[in-house]
Amino acid sequence: MEEYVGMELRELGTDGQLGTGRLQDELLPQLLHLTSLSSAGPISFLACGGAHVLALTSGGKVLTWGRGTSGQLGHSDTVNSPHPKLVMSLNKYFITHVSAGWNHSGFVSDTGALFTCGDGTFGQLGHGDYRLHVYPVEVSFFASKHVEQIACGMRHSLVLLRGGSGDEVYGFGSGKRGQLGITKDKINLVSLPERSCGFEGVKIASITANGDHSAALSADGHLYTWGRGFGGTLSAQTPQRLPTSFCFTKIALGWNHALVLTGGEVFMFGGNHHGVLSNPDKMTPVKHSADSREVVLEKVPGLEGSRTLHIAAGAEHSAIVTENGVLKTWGWGEHGQLGLGNISDQTSPQEVSLSHKFQKEAGLIEIYCGSGFTIAIRTSCPLLRLVNPTYGC
Amino acid sequence: MSYDDVEIEDMEWNNELQAYTYPCPCGDLFQITKEDLKLGEEIARCPSCSLYITVVYNVEDFLDKKSNKPIEPSKQQPITVA
Repeated sequence: MEEYVGMELRELGTDGQLGTGRLQDELLPQLLHLTSLSSAGPISFLACGGAHVLALTSGGKVLTWGRGTSGQLGHSDTVNSPHPKLVMSLNKYFITHVSAGWNHSGFVSDTGALFTCGDGTFGQLGHGDYRLHVYPVEVSFFASKHVEQIACGMRHSLVLLRGGSGDEVYGFGSGKRGQLGITKDKINLVSLPERSCGFEGVKIASITANGDHSAALSADGHLYTWGRGFGGTLSAQTPQRLPTSFCFTKIALGWNHALVLTGGEVFMFGGNHHGVLSNPDKMTPVKHSADSREVVLEKVPGLEGSRTLHIAAGAEHSAIVTENGVLKTWGWGEHGQLGLGNISDQTSPQEVSLSHKFQKEAGLIEIYCGSGFTIAIRTSCPLLRLVNPTYGC
Repeated sequence: MSYDDVEIEDMEWNNELQAYTYPCPCGDLFQITKEDLKLGEEIARCPSCSLYITVVYNVEDFLDKKSNKPIEPSKQQPITVA
């Protein structure tokens, strides 16, 4: 069973993405009493977008809540939902992966089918048009292919395929910053999936998108990024492999920064855009080249002594969970998205005080960030009986 | 400090708000009206937070020239209903 903590934001004052049932910012983690989630079964994965949340259960069902004005919740309407609701039209499928963009959503089934809904203004739904769809519609381009993952950014989407001749990455939606990675030429909008360049013969473990950024991690730990540049570097029209000997295991993208995990250590690049994500004095830059196209990796300070297990990035904030189950956040805090009880920005990781009961389950906390909000989940041993979440944070 | 510089062509016309908009990291939208643009205003603000962006545009494009409107607000999106 899980228990949930939303640290968060409000947003439009009123989109309900925290699932608290209240339409306001919360500065401290709030335990969510989500009976609709509890009855749907254990949550295996969350995807947080601009102001909406997709929750995937271990039984392959999807519940969504938050902003729904573009149809991104998939409930066949364009209204917000302050509480998790089952996406009925996906009920006949076993969903294995979900992703939430600014105002759109993607769902992958165990049979390799891809469904998208929400805002389609930039072609980011991949249906060959620029309309919004209020319930998940199968992307027919992939009908005869096996989709593994979807990654939704602000105005674009990436898809990872397991093809007969190896892995393939596709992009669609806005390509103005190069975030589709499909051509060296400048492009604007693409409404049908096109194959991204540069992954021939590369085994891809995961793809990620946020803002106008795109990234992929290869199975052997190489990081590729394309789209808008980080920290003042130029945009990359095609995937660029980070020239480093590090073996990366996870990546999280913000709108102007990225976190990467290697050997339990967290590095960041890009972070000074908003001026609060990094403190140059405290960082240890690992420069690779003077080339302005290449990013500079910086080790995040204040995380020594404990390995990091999970990383997550909102538009302008970051969160990590250590092997000891300690949750730390930093970055932009105006909406309480750092969960520290105030609205201050933080230049280095700060420990979030969760309830004692929540925190003592070491290593079982997972963290997810939307643009301006944060949600933590505690996943207990599935063999334990359901915990009745009756305590407050 | 301005959060970002955004070209007007990258902003979306929002009929409901009667404003050009661009996503704000807080989850809301930066907004600027046509009247603001006509006056040469460059700052689009978010009603929900302290952030703002600088809008990059050509003010002449927004001065009243009835026969020649270079930037047409996009039409309301058609909605596909189940």
